[in-house]
Amino acid sequence: MFLSNLVQKAQQLIDPGNLPAQLGLSNNDTSGRPSKAQLFRHQFRLPDTQNPLYEITAELTLPPKSSRTNGTLPKSPSQTQAKSWDKGNWDQDRGPHYLGQLHLSEQFLCFSTVNTSFISTASTSASSSYMFALSITAWNGYEAAGVTEKAGAPAPPKLTVQLEGSRLQCERFCDGLKKGLRQGIKEVDQMRSVAADCYSEFFLHSDFDVETGKVREGADGAEARRAPDTGLGSLFRYPGNSRRLRDRSKMRLWYEYMRENGRNTTLVRQPDFHRLIRVGLPNLLRGEVWELTSGSFYLRLQSPKQYEQTLKKHEGAASLAIEEIEKDLNRSLPEYAGFQSEEGIGRLRRVLTAYSWTNTDVGYCQAMNIVVAALLIYLSETQAFYLLATLCDRLLPGYYSQTMYGTLLDQRVFESLVEKTMPIIWDHLQRHDVQLSVVSLPWFLSLYINSMPLIFAFRVLDVFFLEGPKVLFQIGLAILRINGEELLDATDDGTFISVLKSYFARLGESAHPKSENPKHRAITHFQALMVVAFKEFDGITQHTIAEQRAKHKPAVMVNIESFAKRTSIRNLGPESKKLSANDLGFLYDRFYTVLYERQQRAQMLQAETERRAKAARARGGAGSEVVAPQVEMGRVALGAASSTTMEYDAFREFLAGIARWAVTDSPLSPSTKADFGDSVRGNGSLRSTARAGGRPSVSSSSWGSGPEPADHDFLHRLFGKWDAESRGSLGLQDVVYGLAPVKGDRDLMGSIAWFFELYDDDGDGRVDREGILRMSEGLLFLSRRGVESQSRGGGEGGVEGEEGTQSKDEQFLSAVSAFIRRCFEYADPDHPSRQRHEERDADATNDLDLLDLTESDADATPNPNHHPPPNDAFDQTTPLSPKHLQANAALDPSSPVHITLPTFRMLVLADETLEFFFDSGFANSFHLADAPLPSLIVSSPLPFSSSASATSGGTAAAGSGLGGAAAAVAASPGARISTPISPGLGGAAGTGAAAGAGVMVGPGKPGIRGMLDNIVTDGMRVAAEVRRRMDDAQKELDRGAVPARTGTGGEEDEEDEDEAGDLLDGAEADAGAASAGGEGVGRRGSEKSTVFDR
Amino acid sequence: MADSTQASAPKPSSSVKLVLLGEAAVGKSSLVLRFVNNDFHPNKEPTIGAAFLTQKCHLPARIIKFEIWDTAGQERFASLAPMYYRNAQAALVVYDVTKASSLVKAKHWVAELQRQASPGIVIALVGNKVDLCEEDGAGTSGEGAGEGEAGGEDDDDAVARKVGFKEAKAYADEESLLFFETSAKTGHNVSEVFTAIANAIPEASLKGARGAGAAAGGGGATQAAISGGAGQESSRVNLTAKGDGKAQEGCAC
Repeated sequence: MFLSNLVQKAQQLIDPGNLPAQLGLSNNDTSGRPSKAQLFRHQFRLPDTQNPLYEITAELTLPPKSSRTNGTLPKSPSQTQAKSWDKGNWDQDRGPHYLGQLHLSEQFLCFSTVNTSFISTASTSASSSYMFALSITAWNGYEAAGVTEKAGAPAPPKLTVQLEGSRLQCERFCDGLKKGLRQGIKEVDQMRSVAADCYSEFFLHSDFDVETGKVREGADGAEARRAPDTGLGSLFRYPGNSRRLRDRSKMRLWYEYMRENGRNTTLVRQPDFHRLIRVGLPNLLRGEVWELTSGSFYLRLQSPKQYEQTLKKHEGAASLAIEEIEKDLNRSLPEYAGFQSEEGIGRLRRVLTAYSWTNTDVGYCQAMNIVVAALLIYLSETQAFYLLATLCDRLLPGYYSQTMYGTLLDQRVFESLVEKTMPIIWDHLQRHDVQLSVVSLPWFLSLYINSMPLIFAFRVLDVFFLEGPKVLFQIGLAILRINGEELLDATDDGTFISVLKSYFARLGESAHPKSENPKHRAITHFQALMVVAFKEFDGITQHTIAEQRAKHKPAVMVNIESFAKRTSIRNLGPESKKLSANDLGFLYDRFYTVLYERQQRAQMLQAETERRAKAARARGGAGSEVVAPQVEMGRVALGAASSTTMEYDAFREFLAGIARWAVTDSPLSPSTKADFGDSVRGNGSLRSTARAGGRPSVSSSSWGSGPEPADHDFLHRLFGKWDAESRGSLGLQDVVYGLAPVKGDRDLMGSIAWFFELYDDDGDGRVDREGILRMSEGLLFLSRRGVESQSRGGGEGGVEGEEGTQSKDEQFLSAVSAFIRRCFEYADPDHPSRQRHEERDADATNDLDLLDLTESDADATPNPNHHPPPNDAFDQTTPLSPKHLQANAALDPSSPVHITLPTFRMLVLADETLEFFFDSGFANSFHLADAPLPSLIVSSPLPFSSSASATSGGTAAAGSGLGGAAAAVAASPGARISTPISPGLGGAAGTGAAAGAGVMVGPGKPGIRGMLDNIVTDGMRVAAEVRRRMDDAQKELDRGAVPARTGTGGEEDEEDEDEAGDLLDGAEADAGAASAGGEGVGRRGSEKSTVFDR
Repeated sequence: MADSTQASAPKPSSSVKLVLLGEAAVGKSSLVLRFVNNDFHPNKEPTIGAAFLTQKCHLPARIIKFEIWDTAGQERFASLAPMYYRNAQAALVVYDVTKASSLVKAKHWVAELQRQASPGIVIALVGNKVDLCEEDGAGTSGEGAGEGEAGGEDDDDAVARKVGFKEAKAYADEESLLFFETSAKTGHNVSEVFTAIANAIPEASLKGARGAGAAAGGGGATQAAISGGAGQESSRVNLTAKGDGKAQEGCAC
């Protein structure tokens, strides 16, 4: 009977469904089946670093019971089995043997059969290989026999494994094993120290008296041996009455079992192993067996110092998790004596804190305190730490995460199982509106520790660690089944709960108190519960759970996400009210979509790298495995704390999805473009692509499926402005607060001021010359895909009305060029004193030629501090010689001028196009919910020829416009300096045009968009060129302007206004004849110069 | 405090679903424990998920039977809250007068309830732990009080009040909430809160007591905490396991 039971049990172990739920979870919409490596690791509960390298069919033979004696083991660690094995001679008294698979990973040698599984570490087992047979003597046997022959722990069994396969297969396997062993030798010491924490090492030592439970007096070295830490229970008593629990006889059985089948690292799991666990573990061995069955032991083996190191590294640091932990320390199993003492509280604090640092996504969740407190009764701090990690990462994925999605999901699964297995109870609950999860959620979240009396909760844990999460479901279903009749009488939550509560209180009582049969009377409710759970519900396998999880996951995730979205938007604060609810929802979606997609890509890249590395390592090996893990890290519902802020790159990507101008001019390959449509559609509802379309179409490009974002000074500034707290990253709130004044206020003056501030780096209300140039560049950058017209319908593409858009764009270009020019016309000089000494400085180096100009221009901001203090008060007023002027203009890269907000405002208002841009164009360029950005790059290609003329026209306009502006500026101070400068300007215009032509024929960008891009690129290039030349020209303008201004004295403002009026006329002229801009500007420039010459 | 003896003349009885919300460790469970059991535990285990308790409140004209859902306070449990405030007719949003952040959280809860809970829900804003503030005189001593609730950050000296009465009151008025300052430790104002809520529940929204099964508690207050109920705690650890000795052979096969 038992055997069949276990056969099935073991099948579940190998069953693909018996997976860490995390993998099961990701099945749904990612890769489908988990990889072989994941299956392998889960089957043997091995750490993530292990991969199946070789696998071979083998027959395992354990030594017969009778042969077990101390010291009969071979002295030599290796023994060659030269004899060829004959199956016919294989008889039963040689001991149990099993047919199965032998697996080899980097550090472990594992054997599995259909009816049992056992793990033995290869790393330290000494063995030898022959053709077909392998004899394994595990390390502790080696130590006992070879080193301390007198009184040591008994040797573990010598295992014999017969390999079945071709000679080649066997040899390859053995080579792999040898290699593994050789590497493993280094780790022996580490393993020894880790194993020393196991009580079995202490207890199996030959001087240990099982009868008394004490180390025999007088035995050799007894005084040197101390029992390892077996949790708070050894100090404060273990819960329950140990005599009633028959602790001693359990110990004796385990003593027998471990002597025969090895311990800790080398334990062989025969059917008895499962059986011994089912009846409840003895107090002193409970911790160790939990470690082994859960696999946390291997985690500890791998990085035994991690716990201490983590604590040390974060000593004294503070975090939200720690704050939360502190709140709960005094209220974790407060009735247990150990947690009324500083000792117990201290252990609890350290374990919870250390884990919160190792997994910051989880941090700390209430209920963890209760679980860890329970673990600490049987485990040392270190052991509890690794077991907690195994719990959170593998056994209960997502239970304690920020959104607790695992808990919610498993509640849904539990409900569906109740519905399936107990339809009558389910209907009853539905009819009376009783919510099952209200009762069952704490069961799962605190592993029944908080619901059942502790001793029974520990029995559940014993099986839970051995068989996995399905145990929680089985127990839960059994509880409902047993109490079914009473529950059917309950019609409200209160009664429902009190029925179960009183049941839990009676768990230790006899289930059949009135029975005649004393054996029946002896059966407790708890025993009955176990029987129902594992008999009646043995159909609930890990596979069932995985299936159900996959089925319910989408709905649960959507629920969590909509809740998170609602909460998050509501908590954004007052400023967010400026945006509509739709827009906020849209921003929220866009924000998290970007984070999600980025994270996915990062993960895939990482997986790819790992895969390559592994492939390289396992080269020539039998196993080529490892599929990229498809864990959906970034989903909001998973509550990964790491994904709530955007770095600069993510910000660019974010903007590229809501504003045309944030997309780069050099889009990637056509395939990327094609994908873009998908992702835009996905913008509408959060991650609909990811959900609906099965696997998200994540390309390996660093920008994924979206358009490649541009990188520009303007974006940097925007990021800096929105990053109000200078954290280097933006949260959703930052983005909303950043957009609110732009989109929400819709106030012309406000948005002009906003833009000005963006360029006012030091916040002194002035933008210097560098800033002016950057402003103009920014404006060109923003407009290079066209200025948004006032009313844009939701779905319309960028192609609409090429004519209109195009001419608007040209208008904008000339408006910006005019803007640059006017900026310098109306710029205020900095303090005269500063200007003066800069002139002096320039004077001193007047021999340098013009060529240097471009270079010295490169360093942008003026740094007057390094200049000597002014000492020549008359310098300013004395008429400057042409040579002086010229040199000064050429050499002073940063003649300090600035514009102030009023000036800027005036300049903007002077131009209809700019005014329109600041009034609505800029705000409209952010496409939110009302008008989501259509697929912008992919617009229907137009015949090349039709747009060619437009392009050249535009180029000409840009070139001549800017050139004209520069010329005009140059002309103003008088004819004296125009000679040296003009050629330069001509050159600039020339290069601009040439560059434009180059771009035009260059990359394959047909269509009006491409053309417009060219215009814009061209214009920007021209601007860049001109900007350098302008520096000196503009200085000359200053020279002219300064006396004029000093002349008018206090009436400066008035003069400004006059000029503004003047300008308005000019602007109209500009707008009217954009193509003739060069001419017009040139003319107006000369007019201006007459004003100054006056 | 509501008593558990039946009044001689049967008064109409109706049940009211009430949910407690608020930041972790502000004393939600303690308020309920005081109201239901007239008891106080300084180291109350954190509520996992939610606890359910009932208590009757005798008004002159009728009896209100409160079905109290006491929820977990930690931020991440917030997503479970809709499960509990669903169909609630009353809500107690609790903050800690010694912790300013807890009022912010309370405001979030109020907003959530106003938008998501059933319309017409009666919301009471409650500032708990006034015993920690000297000025109120509600608490007899400041030292060591409510350490388990407020966590280790509380000094032994009287903790200064961080949320003023006026500030919270003004907010409550603005949002039309009932408002009280209480101390679960001393019992100050606790039953008043529940009585006020009982009075504020509009007659129309009252339905009859739910089902005959409500009598399970034997006429007294039915209390059934899902987790960490006060009564059974001592039995957890030293629970005598009768008959468990036979476990060895008895199960799993």
